[in-house]
Amino acid sequence: MTASISLYIAGDSGLHRLHPLTKLTLTLTILLGGFAIPYTWASYAIFLGIVLPIAIWGGIWKQMLRSVWKIVLPFAISIFLIQSLFWGEGTALFAFGPLSIEKEGVIFAMGSVGRIIVVISSFLLLTLATRPDSLMNALTKIGVPAGITYIVVTTIQIVPRFQAKAASIIDAQRSRGLITEGNLLKRTRALVPLVMPLVLSSLVDVEERAIAIEARAFNSPGSKTSLNVIPDTSTQRIARWIMFLLIVLIIGYRIWWSLTFTN
Amino acid sequence: MSFTESIKKEFSTRTLVLIPVAIAINIVVGQLLIILKLPIYLDSIGTVLVGALAGPWAGALTGALTNIIWGLTLYPQAMPFFYVAAVIGAMAGIAAKLGVFERISPRWLSALIGGFFFFGLTLFILSVTTYSREGLIPNATDLIRQYGVVFIIIAIIGLAIGYFVLQKAGYAGLAGLITGVVAAIISAPTAAVVYGGVTGAGTDLVVAAFRASGTGILASTFAQGAVSDPFDKMVSFLIVWLILQALPARFKSR
Repeated sequence: MTASISLYIAGDSGLHRLHPLTKLTLTLTILLGGFAIPYTWASYAIFLGIVLPIAIWGGIWKQMLRSVWKIVLPFAISIFLIQSLFWGEGTALFAFGPLSIEKEGVIFAMGSVGRIIVVISSFLLLTLATRPDSLMNALTKIGVPAGITYIVVTTIQIVPRFQAKAASIIDAQRSRGLITEGNLLKRTRALVPLVMPLVLSSLVDVEERAIAIEARAFNSPGSKTSLNVIPDTSTQRIARWIMFLLIVLIIGYRIWWSLTFTN
Repeated sequence: MSFTESIKKEFSTRTLVLIPVAIAINIVVGQLLIILKLPIYLDSIGTVLVGALAGPWAGALTGALTNIIWGLTLYPQAMPFFYVAAVIGAMAGIAAKLGVFERISPRWLSALIGGFFFFGLTLFILSVTTYSREGLIPNATDLIRQYGVVFIIIAIIGLAIGYFVLQKAGYAGLAGLITGVVAAIISAPTAAVVYGGVTGAGTDLVVAAFRASGTGILASTFAQGAVSDPFDKMVSFLIVWLILQALPARFKSR
Protein backbone atom coordinates (compact mmCIF):
# COMPACT_ATOMS: atom_id res chain seq x y z
CA MET A 1 0.00 0.00 0.00
CA THR A 2 1.27 3.45 -0.87
CA ALA A 3 0.20 6.56 1.00
CA SER A 4 -3.05 5.97 2.82
CA ILE A 5 -5.02 7.38 5.70
CA SER A 6 -5.13 5.04 8.63
CA LEU A 7 -4.71 5.02 12.38
CA TYR A 8 -2.86 1.71 12.06
CA ILE A 9 0.47 1.53 13.84
CA ALA A 10 2.78 -1.18 12.54
CA GLY A 11 3.84 -3.65 15.17
CA ASP A 12 4.46 -7.30 15.86
CA SER A 13 2.71 -7.83 19.19
CA GLY A 14 0.30 -10.62 20.01
CA LEU A 15 -2.55 -8.16 19.49
CA HIS A 16 -1.30 -7.30 16.01
CA ARG A 17 -1.03 -10.98 15.11
CA LEU A 18 -4.59 -11.81 16.20
CA HIS A 19 -7.05 -12.52 13.41
CA PRO A 20 -8.94 -9.29 12.48
CA LEU A 21 -12.29 -10.93 13.18
CA THR A 22 -11.16 -11.82 16.70
CA LYS A 23 -10.31 -8.16 17.33
CA LEU A 24 -13.60 -7.03 15.78
CA THR A 25 -15.59 -9.38 18.04
CA LEU A 26 -13.58 -8.22 21.05
CA THR A 27 -14.35 -4.57 20.21
CA LEU A 28 -18.08 -5.29 19.89
CA THR A 29 -18.13 -7.22 23.18
CA ILE A 30 -16.38 -4.39 25.07
CA LEU A 31 -18.64 -1.78 23.45
CA LEU A 32 -21.77 -3.65 24.44
CA GLY A 33 -20.49 -4.27 27.95
CA GLY A 34 -19.86 -0.54 28.40
CA PHE A 35 -23.42 0.31 27.39
CA ALA A 36 -25.40 -2.56 28.85
CA ILE A 37 -24.04 -2.73 32.38
CA PRO A 38 -26.21 -0.16 34.14
CA TYR A 39 -23.72 1.27 36.63
CA THR A 40 -21.70 4.44 36.26
CA TRP A 41 -18.46 2.78 37.36
CA ALA A 42 -18.80 -0.10 34.85
CA SER A 43 -17.43 1.79 31.84
CA TYR A 44 -14.42 3.04 33.83
CA ALA A 45 -13.78 -0.48 35.14
CA ILE A 46 -13.97 -1.86 31.59
CA PHE A 47 -11.53 0.76 30.34
CA LEU A 48 -9.00 0.29 33.14
CA GLY A 49 -9.44 -3.45 33.62
CA ILE A 50 -9.86 -4.72 30.05
CA VAL A 51 -9.08 -2.17 27.33
CA LEU A 52 -5.93 -0.69 28.84
CA PRO A 53 -4.21 -4.03 29.66
CA ILE A 54 -4.91 -5.25 26.10
CA ALA A 55 -3.53 -1.98 24.71
CA ILE A 56 -0.37 -2.39 26.83
CA TRP A 57 -0.03 -5.98 25.57
CA GLY A 58 -0.35 -4.68 22.01
CA GLY A 59 2.15 -1.88 22.59
CA ILE A 60 -0.35 0.73 21.43
CA TRP A 61 -1.28 2.20 24.81
CA LYS A 62 0.62 5.46 24.32
CA GLN A 63 -1.17 6.30 21.08
CA MET A 64 -4.46 5.12 22.54
CA LEU A 65 -4.22 7.30 25.65
CA ARG A 66 -3.17 10.28 23.52
CA SER A 67 -6.13 9.84 21.13
CA VAL A 68 -8.63 9.15 23.90
CA TRP A 69 -7.44 12.25 25.77
CA LYS A 70 -7.59 14.43 22.64
CA ILE A 71 -11.07 13.24 21.63
CA VAL A 72 -12.72 12.90 25.03
CA LEU A 73 -11.48 16.11 26.68
CA PRO A 74 -13.67 18.59 24.71
CA PHE A 75 -16.68 16.32 25.22
CA ALA A 76 -15.97 15.99 28.91
CA ILE A 77 -15.64 19.74 29.44
CA SER A 78 -18.88 20.43 27.58
CA ILE A 79 -20.82 17.67 29.33
CA PHE A 80 -19.69 18.65 32.81
CA LEU A 81 -20.40 22.35 32.25
CA ILE A 82 -23.80 21.84 30.65
CA GLN A 83 -25.17 18.95 32.66
CA SER A 84 -23.92 19.89 36.10
CA LEU A 85 -24.77 23.59 35.90
CA PHE A 86 -28.04 23.38 33.97
CA TRP A 87 -29.54 20.19 35.35
CA GLY A 88 -32.65 21.95 36.65
CA GLU A 89 -34.01 20.67 39.96
CA GLY A 90 -31.54 18.53 41.84
CA THR A 91 -29.45 18.28 44.94
CA ALA A 92 -27.00 21.14 44.90
CA LEU A 93 -23.46 20.10 45.80
CA PHE A 94 -22.32 23.68 46.13
CA ALA A 95 -23.49 27.00 44.79
CA PHE A 96 -21.78 30.23 43.81
CA GLY A 97 -24.05 33.14 43.03
CA PRO A 98 -26.87 32.09 40.73
CA LEU A 99 -25.01 28.96 39.57
CA SER A 100 -25.07 25.68 41.41
CA ILE A 101 -23.59 22.31 40.65
CA GLU A 102 -26.19 19.55 40.89
CA LYS A 103 -25.30 16.07 42.07
CA GLU A 104 -27.59 14.36 39.52
CA GLY A 105 -25.95 16.32 36.69
CA VAL A 106 -22.46 15.33 37.81
CA ILE A 107 -23.46 11.65 37.96
CA PHE A 108 -25.02 11.89 34.49
CA ALA A 109 -21.87 13.57 33.16
CA MET A 110 -19.66 10.90 34.74
CA GLY A 111 -21.74 8.18 33.07
CA SER A 112 -21.61 9.91 29.68
CA VAL A 113 -17.86 10.47 29.79
CA GLY A 114 -17.34 6.83 30.78
CA ARG A 115 -19.41 5.64 27.82
CA ILE A 116 -17.53 7.92 25.40
CA ILE A 117 -14.23 6.55 26.72
CA VAL A 118 -15.43 2.99 26.14
CA VAL A 119 -16.70 3.76 22.60
CA ILE A 120 -13.53 5.56 21.51
CA SER A 121 -11.03 3.25 23.19
CA SER A 122 -12.65 0.03 21.98
CA PHE A 123 -12.69 1.29 18.39
CA LEU A 124 -9.05 2.34 18.79
CA LEU A 125 -8.16 -1.13 20.05
CA LEU A 126 -9.31 -2.44 16.67
CA THR A 127 -8.05 0.31 14.39
CA LEU A 128 -4.64 0.96 15.96
CA ALA A 129 -3.61 -2.68 15.71
CA THR A 130 -5.35 -3.82 12.51
CA ARG A 131 -4.53 -2.97 8.92
CA PRO A 132 -7.81 -1.81 7.29
CA ASP A 133 -7.14 -3.95 4.23
CA SER A 134 -6.65 -7.15 6.21
CA LEU A 135 -9.82 -6.44 8.20
CA MET A 136 -11.77 -6.04 4.95
CA ASN A 137 -10.08 -9.12 3.53
CA ALA A 138 -11.21 -11.16 6.53
CA LEU A 139 -14.75 -9.78 6.28
CA THR A 140 -14.93 -10.76 2.61
CA LYS A 141 -14.04 -14.34 3.59
CA ILE A 142 -17.11 -14.55 5.85
CA GLY A 143 -19.48 -13.24 3.19
CA VAL A 144 -19.27 -9.44 3.05
CA PRO A 145 -19.61 -8.53 -0.67
CA ALA A 146 -16.32 -7.91 -2.48
CA GLY A 147 -17.74 -4.57 -3.67
CA ILE A 148 -17.76 -3.24 -0.09
CA THR A 149 -14.14 -4.28 0.38
CA TYR A 150 -13.22 -2.57 -2.88
CA ILE A 151 -14.94 0.65 -1.74
CA VAL A 152 -13.27 0.76 1.69
CA VAL A 153 -9.75 -0.08 0.51
CA THR A 154 -9.93 2.27 -2.49
CA THR A 155 -11.23 5.15 -0.37
CA ILE A 156 -8.40 4.79 2.12
CA GLN A 157 -5.92 5.02 -0.75
CA ILE A 158 -7.46 7.90 -2.70
CA VAL A 159 -8.11 10.28 0.20
CA PRO A 160 -4.44 11.45 0.35
CA ARG A 161 -4.54 12.09 -3.42
CA PHE A 162 -7.69 14.14 -2.97
CA GLN A 163 -6.13 16.09 -0.13
CA ALA A 164 -3.21 16.98 -2.41
CA LYS A 165 -5.66 17.96 -5.15
CA ALA A 166 -7.63 20.16 -2.74
CA ALA A 167 -4.42 21.88 -1.62
CA SER A 168 -3.45 22.68 -5.22
CA ILE A 169 -6.97 23.97 -5.98
CA ILE A 170 -6.75 26.30 -2.98
CA ASP A 171 -3.35 27.55 -4.19
CA ALA A 172 -4.57 28.00 -7.76
CA GLN A 173 -7.69 29.91 -6.75
CA ARG A 174 -5.74 32.07 -4.29
CA SER A 175 -3.24 32.98 -6.98
CA ARG A 176 -6.19 34.10 -9.12
CA GLY A 177 -7.27 36.41 -6.32
CA LEU A 178 -9.79 34.30 -4.41
CA ILE A 179 -10.08 35.44 -0.82
CA THR A 180 -10.12 32.53 1.64
CA GLU A 181 -9.65 34.57 4.77
CA GLY A 182 -11.53 37.49 6.27
CA ASN A 183 -15.09 37.83 7.45
CA LEU A 184 -17.75 35.13 7.29
CA LEU A 185 -19.30 36.41 4.07
CA LYS A 186 -15.95 36.44 2.25
CA ARG A 187 -15.11 32.93 3.41
CA THR A 188 -18.57 31.69 2.41
CA ARG A 189 -18.09 33.16 -1.08
CA ALA A 190 -14.90 31.08 -1.40
CA LEU A 191 -16.81 27.84 -0.85
CA VAL A 192 -18.21 27.19 -4.32
CA PRO A 193 -15.00 28.07 -6.27
CA LEU A 194 -13.11 25.57 -4.09
CA VAL A 195 -15.62 22.73 -3.90
CA MET A 196 -16.82 22.70 -7.53
CA PRO A 197 -13.42 22.11 -9.23
CA LEU A 198 -12.57 19.43 -6.68
CA VAL A 199 -15.79 17.51 -7.25
CA LEU A 200 -15.99 17.93 -11.02
CA SER A 201 -12.36 16.95 -11.63
CA SER A 202 -12.76 13.90 -9.38
CA LEU A 203 -15.74 12.67 -11.36
CA VAL A 204 -13.93 12.84 -14.67
CA ASP A 205 -11.92 9.64 -14.29
CA VAL A 206 -14.74 7.51 -12.81
CA GLU A 207 -15.65 6.16 -16.25
CA GLU A 208 -12.10 5.08 -17.08
CA ARG A 209 -11.60 3.39 -13.73
CA ALA A 210 -14.82 1.41 -14.16
CA ILE A 211 -13.62 0.10 -17.52
CA ALA A 212 -10.19 -0.66 -16.05
CA ILE A 213 -11.47 -2.83 -13.18
CA GLU A 214 -13.99 -4.60 -15.40
CA ALA A 215 -11.13 -5.49 -17.75
CA ARG A 216 -9.44 -7.09 -14.71
CA ALA A 217 -12.34 -9.48 -14.08
CA PHE A 218 -13.87 -7.48 -11.22
CA ASN A 219 -17.30 -8.93 -11.96
CA SER A 220 -16.26 -12.50 -12.69
CA PRO A 221 -18.44 -14.83 -10.63
CA GLY A 222 -15.90 -17.56 -9.77
CA SER A 223 -14.19 -17.74 -6.38
CA LYS A 224 -11.05 -15.66 -6.07
CA THR A 225 -7.81 -16.33 -4.27
CA SER A 226 -6.05 -13.76 -2.13
CA LEU A 227 -2.39 -12.78 -2.13
CA ASN A 228 -2.31 -12.29 1.63
CA VAL A 229 -3.58 -15.23 3.64
CA ILE A 230 -4.49 -14.21 7.18
CA PRO A 231 -3.55 -16.89 9.73
CA ASP A 232 -6.35 -18.10 11.98
CA THR A 233 -6.20 -20.63 14.81
CA SER A 234 -8.84 -22.89 16.34
CA THR A 235 -8.24 -21.24 19.74
CA GLN A 236 -9.23 -17.91 18.24
CA ARG A 237 -12.28 -19.45 16.60
CA ILE A 238 -13.39 -20.81 19.97
CA ALA A 239 -12.62 -17.44 21.62
CA ARG A 240 -14.85 -15.71 19.06
CA TRP A 241 -17.73 -18.07 19.82
CA ILE A 242 -17.28 -17.50 23.55
CA MET A 243 -17.40 -13.74 23.00
CA PHE A 244 -20.58 -14.13 20.93
CA LEU A 245 -22.07 -16.07 23.82
CA LEU A 246 -20.95 -13.30 26.16
CA ILE A 247 -22.67 -10.70 23.97
CA VAL A 248 -25.93 -12.67 24.14
CA LEU A 249 -25.54 -13.00 27.92
CA ILE A 250 -24.88 -9.26 28.34
CA ILE A 251 -27.96 -8.37 26.29
CA GLY A 252 -30.01 -10.93 28.23
CA TYR A 253 -28.77 -9.51 31.53
CA ARG A 254 -29.64 -5.98 30.45
CA ILE A 255 -33.16 -6.96 29.43
CA TRP A 256 -33.63 -8.83 32.74
CA TRP A 257 -32.30 -5.79 34.65
CA SER A 258 -34.60 -3.34 32.84
CA LEU A 259 -37.64 -5.56 33.49
CA THR A 260 -36.80 -5.98 37.19
CA PHE A 261 -35.68 -2.51 38.21
CA THR A 262 -37.51 0.02 36.10
CA ASN A 263 -41.11 -0.86 36.96
CA MET B 1 -38.52 -5.15 -12.67
CA SER B 2 -38.42 -6.87 -9.29
CA PHE B 3 -37.28 -5.22 -6.08
CA THR B 4 -33.92 -7.00 -5.80
CA GLU B 5 -33.24 -6.43 -9.49
CA SER B 6 -33.77 -2.71 -9.05
CA ILE B 7 -31.27 -2.69 -6.16
CA LYS B 8 -28.75 -4.65 -8.22
CA LYS B 9 -29.12 -2.24 -11.09
CA GLU B 10 -28.14 0.63 -8.76
CA PHE B 11 -24.85 -1.11 -7.96
CA SER B 12 -23.29 -1.20 -11.40
CA THR B 13 -19.49 -1.18 -11.70
CA ARG B 14 -19.72 2.54 -12.36
CA THR B 15 -21.55 3.08 -9.08
CA LEU B 16 -18.97 1.00 -7.21
CA VAL B 17 -16.21 3.16 -8.67
CA LEU B 18 -18.15 6.34 -7.95
CA ILE B 19 -18.70 5.55 -4.25
CA PRO B 20 -15.02 5.71 -3.09
CA VAL B 21 -14.65 9.00 -4.98
CA ALA B 22 -17.77 10.30 -3.23
CA ILE B 23 -16.54 9.22 0.20
CA ALA B 24 -13.20 10.91 -0.46
CA ILE B 25 -15.13 14.06 -1.46
CA ASN B 26 -17.06 13.90 1.84
CA ILE B 27 -13.87 13.62 3.85
CA VAL B 28 -11.79 16.20 1.95
CA VAL B 29 -14.57 18.81 1.67
CA GLY B 30 -15.19 18.33 5.40
CA GLN B 31 -11.53 19.20 5.97
CA LEU B 32 -11.70 22.12 3.52
CA LEU B 33 -14.50 23.61 5.63
CA ILE B 34 -12.24 23.45 8.67
CA ILE B 35 -9.59 25.41 6.71
CA LEU B 36 -12.20 27.99 5.71
CA LYS B 37 -13.42 28.09 9.35
CA LEU B 38 -17.08 28.04 8.34
CA PRO B 39 -19.66 27.04 10.94
CA ILE B 40 -21.10 24.15 8.86
CA TYR B 41 -19.82 20.61 8.27
CA LEU B 42 -20.73 19.94 4.63
CA ASP B 43 -19.51 16.38 5.01
CA SER B 44 -22.27 14.78 2.95
CA ILE B 45 -21.87 16.32 -0.50
CA GLY B 46 -20.52 13.04 -1.91
CA THR B 47 -23.31 11.06 -0.27
CA VAL B 48 -26.00 13.33 -1.73
CA LEU B 49 -24.25 13.19 -5.11
CA VAL B 50 -24.31 9.36 -5.22
CA GLY B 51 -27.95 9.36 -4.09
CA ALA B 52 -28.76 11.77 -6.93
CA LEU B 53 -26.73 9.95 -9.61
CA ALA B 54 -27.20 6.28 -8.68
CA GLY B 55 -30.24 6.01 -6.40
CA PRO B 56 -31.31 5.74 -2.75
CA TRP B 57 -29.65 2.39 -1.93
CA ALA B 58 -26.30 3.47 -3.32
CA GLY B 59 -26.67 6.79 -1.47
CA ALA B 60 -27.41 4.97 1.78
CA LEU B 61 -24.37 2.71 1.36
CA THR B 62 -22.15 5.72 0.63
CA GLY B 63 -23.34 7.50 3.76
CA ALA B 64 -22.91 4.50 6.05
CA LEU B 65 -19.46 3.67 4.69
CA THR B 66 -18.34 7.30 4.97
CA ASN B 67 -18.86 7.26 8.72
CA ILE B 68 -17.43 3.77 9.12
CA ILE B 69 -14.28 4.61 7.15
CA TRP B 70 -13.99 7.91 8.97
CA GLY B 71 -14.28 6.02 12.22
CA LEU B 72 -11.64 3.51 11.13
CA THR B 73 -9.16 6.10 9.97
CA LEU B 74 -9.39 9.63 11.33
CA TYR B 75 -12.33 10.25 13.57
CA PRO B 76 -13.56 7.36 15.78
CA GLN B 77 -16.44 9.40 17.19
CA ALA B 78 -18.19 9.47 13.77
CA MET B 79 -18.82 5.71 13.75
CA PRO B 80 -22.04 5.58 15.84
CA PHE B 81 -23.79 7.97 13.43
CA PHE B 82 -23.40 5.77 10.35
CA TYR B 83 -27.16 5.12 10.17
CA VAL B 84 -27.90 8.87 10.05
CA ALA B 85 -25.57 9.27 7.06
CA ALA B 86 -27.28 6.29 5.41
CA VAL B 87 -30.71 7.92 5.79
CA ILE B 88 -29.34 11.18 4.33
CA GLY B 89 -28.07 9.30 1.25
CA ALA B 90 -31.35 7.43 0.86
CA MET B 91 -33.38 10.65 1.14
CA ALA B 92 -31.17 12.30 -1.48
CA GLY B 93 -31.87 9.36 -3.78
CA ILE B 94 -35.62 9.61 -3.25
CA ALA B 95 -35.48 13.38 -3.75
CA ALA B 96 -33.62 12.82 -7.02
CA LYS B 97 -36.33 10.40 -8.18
CA LEU B 98 -38.84 13.21 -7.57
CA GLY B 99 -36.72 15.39 -9.84
CA VAL B 100 -35.57 18.05 -7.38
CA PHE B 101 -32.06 18.18 -8.87
CA GLU B 102 -33.35 18.86 -12.39
CA ARG B 103 -36.06 21.35 -11.59
CA ILE B 104 -35.40 25.07 -11.63
CA SER B 105 -37.57 27.19 -9.39
CA PRO B 106 -38.23 30.91 -9.75
CA ARG B 107 -36.50 32.96 -7.06
CA TRP B 108 -39.71 34.20 -5.46
CA LEU B 109 -40.74 30.55 -4.94
CA SER B 110 -37.35 29.75 -3.34
CA ALA B 111 -37.88 32.71 -1.01
CA LEU B 112 -41.34 31.45 -0.04
CA ILE B 113 -39.94 27.94 0.54
CA GLY B 114 -37.25 29.39 2.82
CA GLY B 115 -39.68 31.59 4.73
CA PHE B 116 -42.31 28.90 5.30
CA PHE B 117 -39.76 26.22 6.17
CA PHE B 118 -37.96 28.21 8.83
CA PHE B 119 -41.29 29.40 10.28
CA GLY B 120 -42.49 25.77 10.52
CA LEU B 121 -39.15 24.58 11.90
CA THR B 122 -39.23 27.17 14.69
CA LEU B 123 -42.76 26.10 15.59
CA PHE B 124 -41.63 22.46 15.66
CA ILE B 125 -38.55 23.11 17.84
CA LEU B 126 -40.53 25.24 20.28
CA SER B 127 -43.29 22.61 20.47
CA VAL B 128 -40.82 19.81 21.23
CA THR B 129 -38.89 21.79 23.86
CA THR B 130 -42.06 23.14 25.49
CA TYR B 131 -43.47 19.62 25.58
CA SER B 132 -40.27 18.43 27.24
CA ARG B 133 -40.52 21.16 29.91
CA GLU B 134 -44.22 21.03 30.64
CA GLY B 135 -45.36 17.59 29.50
CA LEU B 136 -48.17 19.11 27.41
CA ILE B 137 -48.26 19.55 23.67
CA PRO B 138 -48.57 23.34 23.34
CA ASN B 139 -51.15 25.12 21.23
CA ALA B 140 -49.57 26.52 18.04
CA THR B 141 -51.40 29.84 18.21
CA ASP B 142 -50.32 30.32 21.84
CA LEU B 143 -46.70 29.72 20.87
CA ILE B 144 -46.90 32.16 17.96
CA ARG B 145 -48.51 34.79 20.20
CA GLN B 146 -45.88 34.24 22.90
CA TYR B 147 -42.84 34.32 20.59
CA GLY B 148 -44.33 36.54 17.84
CA VAL B 149 -41.22 38.66 17.20
CA VAL B 150 -38.99 35.58 16.99
CA PHE B 151 -41.26 34.02 14.38
CA ILE B 152 -41.32 37.16 12.26
CA ILE B 153 -37.53 37.58 12.36
CA ILE B 154 -36.93 33.92 11.51
CA ALA B 155 -39.45 33.95 8.66
CA ILE B 156 -37.71 37.03 7.18
CA ILE B 157 -34.30 35.33 7.51
CA GLY B 158 -35.82 32.28 5.78
CA LEU B 159 -37.15 34.45 2.94
CA ALA B 160 -33.71 36.02 2.52
CA ILE B 161 -31.94 32.63 2.55
CA GLY B 162 -34.34 31.34 -0.09
CA TYR B 163 -33.93 34.40 -2.31
CA PHE B 164 -30.18 35.01 -2.01
CA VAL B 165 -28.70 31.56 -1.23
CA LEU B 166 -30.98 29.04 -2.90
CA GLN B 167 -31.84 31.28 -5.85
CA LYS B 168 -33.05 28.86 -8.54
CA ALA B 169 -32.48 25.66 -6.56
CA GLY B 170 -35.61 25.99 -4.41
CA TYR B 171 -36.75 22.38 -4.80
CA ALA B 172 -33.31 20.90 -4.05
CA GLY B 173 -32.97 23.27 -1.10
CA LEU B 174 -36.34 22.20 0.32
CA ALA B 175 -35.33 18.52 0.00
CA GLY B 176 -32.09 19.33 1.86
CA LEU B 177 -33.93 21.21 4.61
CA ILE B 178 -36.34 18.31 5.16
CA THR B 179 -33.42 15.84 5.15
CA GLY B 180 -31.73 17.99 7.80
CA VAL B 181 -34.76 17.85 10.09
CA VAL B 182 -34.98 14.06 9.71
CA ALA B 183 -31.24 13.79 10.41
CA ALA B 184 -31.68 15.89 13.57
CA ILE B 185 -34.56 13.71 14.78
CA ILE B 186 -32.83 10.36 14.23
CA SER B 187 -29.38 11.41 15.44
CA ALA B 188 -30.61 12.94 18.73
CA PRO B 189 -31.09 9.61 20.60
CA THR B 190 -27.55 8.45 19.75
CA ALA B 191 -26.05 11.86 20.53
CA ALA B 192 -27.88 11.93 23.86
CA VAL B 193 -27.12 8.34 24.91
CA VAL B 194 -23.57 7.97 23.60
CA TYR B 195 -22.24 11.52 23.93
CA GLY B 196 -24.42 13.02 26.65
CA GLY B 197 -25.90 15.43 24.10
CA VAL B 198 -22.75 17.41 23.32
CA THR B 199 -20.27 17.51 20.45
CA GLY B 200 -17.43 19.41 22.09
CA ALA B 201 -17.93 22.20 19.53
CA GLY B 202 -19.53 25.65 19.48
CA THR B 203 -23.01 24.25 18.83
CA ASP B 204 -23.01 23.03 22.43
CA LEU B 205 -24.03 26.56 23.42
CA VAL B 206 -27.45 25.77 21.93
CA VAL B 207 -27.70 22.66 24.11
CA ALA B 208 -26.65 24.71 27.14
CA ALA B 209 -29.30 27.37 26.44
CA PHE B 210 -32.11 24.82 26.20
CA ARG B 211 -30.88 22.87 29.24
CA ALA B 212 -30.77 26.12 31.23
CA SER B 213 -34.45 26.71 30.41
CA GLY B 214 -35.28 23.32 31.92
CA THR B 215 -35.61 21.29 28.71
CA GLY B 216 -34.79 17.56 28.85
CA ILE B 217 -31.54 16.13 27.49
CA LEU B 218 -33.08 14.40 24.46
CA ALA B 219 -35.17 17.44 23.47
CA SER B 220 -32.18 19.80 23.92
CA THR B 221 -30.02 17.55 21.76
CA PHE B 222 -32.72 17.46 19.10
CA ALA B 223 -33.11 21.25 19.23
CA GLN B 224 -29.35 21.67 18.70
CA GLY B 225 -29.48 19.38 15.66
CA ALA B 226 -32.59 21.07 14.30
CA VAL B 227 -30.88 24.46 14.49
CA SER B 228 -27.71 23.41 12.64
CA ASP B 229 -28.53 20.35 10.47
CA PRO B 230 -31.18 21.75 8.07
CA PHE B 231 -28.93 24.61 6.98
CA ASP B 232 -25.97 22.26 6.54
CA LYS B 233 -27.95 19.78 4.42
CA MET B 234 -29.58 22.61 2.45
CA VAL B 235 -26.15 23.89 1.38
CA SER B 236 -25.05 20.31 0.54
CA PHE B 237 -28.11 19.75 -1.68
CA LEU B 238 -27.60 23.18 -3.24
CA ILE B 239 -23.99 22.38 -4.16
CA VAL B 240 -25.02 19.01 -5.62
CA TRP B 241 -27.69 20.84 -7.64
CA LEU B 242 -24.96 23.15 -8.98
CA ILE B 243 -22.72 20.14 -9.75
CA LEU B 244 -25.49 18.33 -11.61
CA GLN B 245 -26.23 21.46 -13.62
CA ALA B 246 -22.55 21.57 -14.61
CA LEU B 247 -22.05 17.85 -15.35
CA PRO B 248 -22.23 16.73 -18.97
CA ALA B 249 -25.50 14.95 -19.86
CA ARG B 250 -23.49 11.89 -20.93
CA PHE B 251 -22.29 11.37 -17.33
CA LYS B 252 -25.75 11.67 -15.83
CA SER B 253 -27.42 9.31 -18.32
CA ARG B 254 -25.93 6.23 -16.63
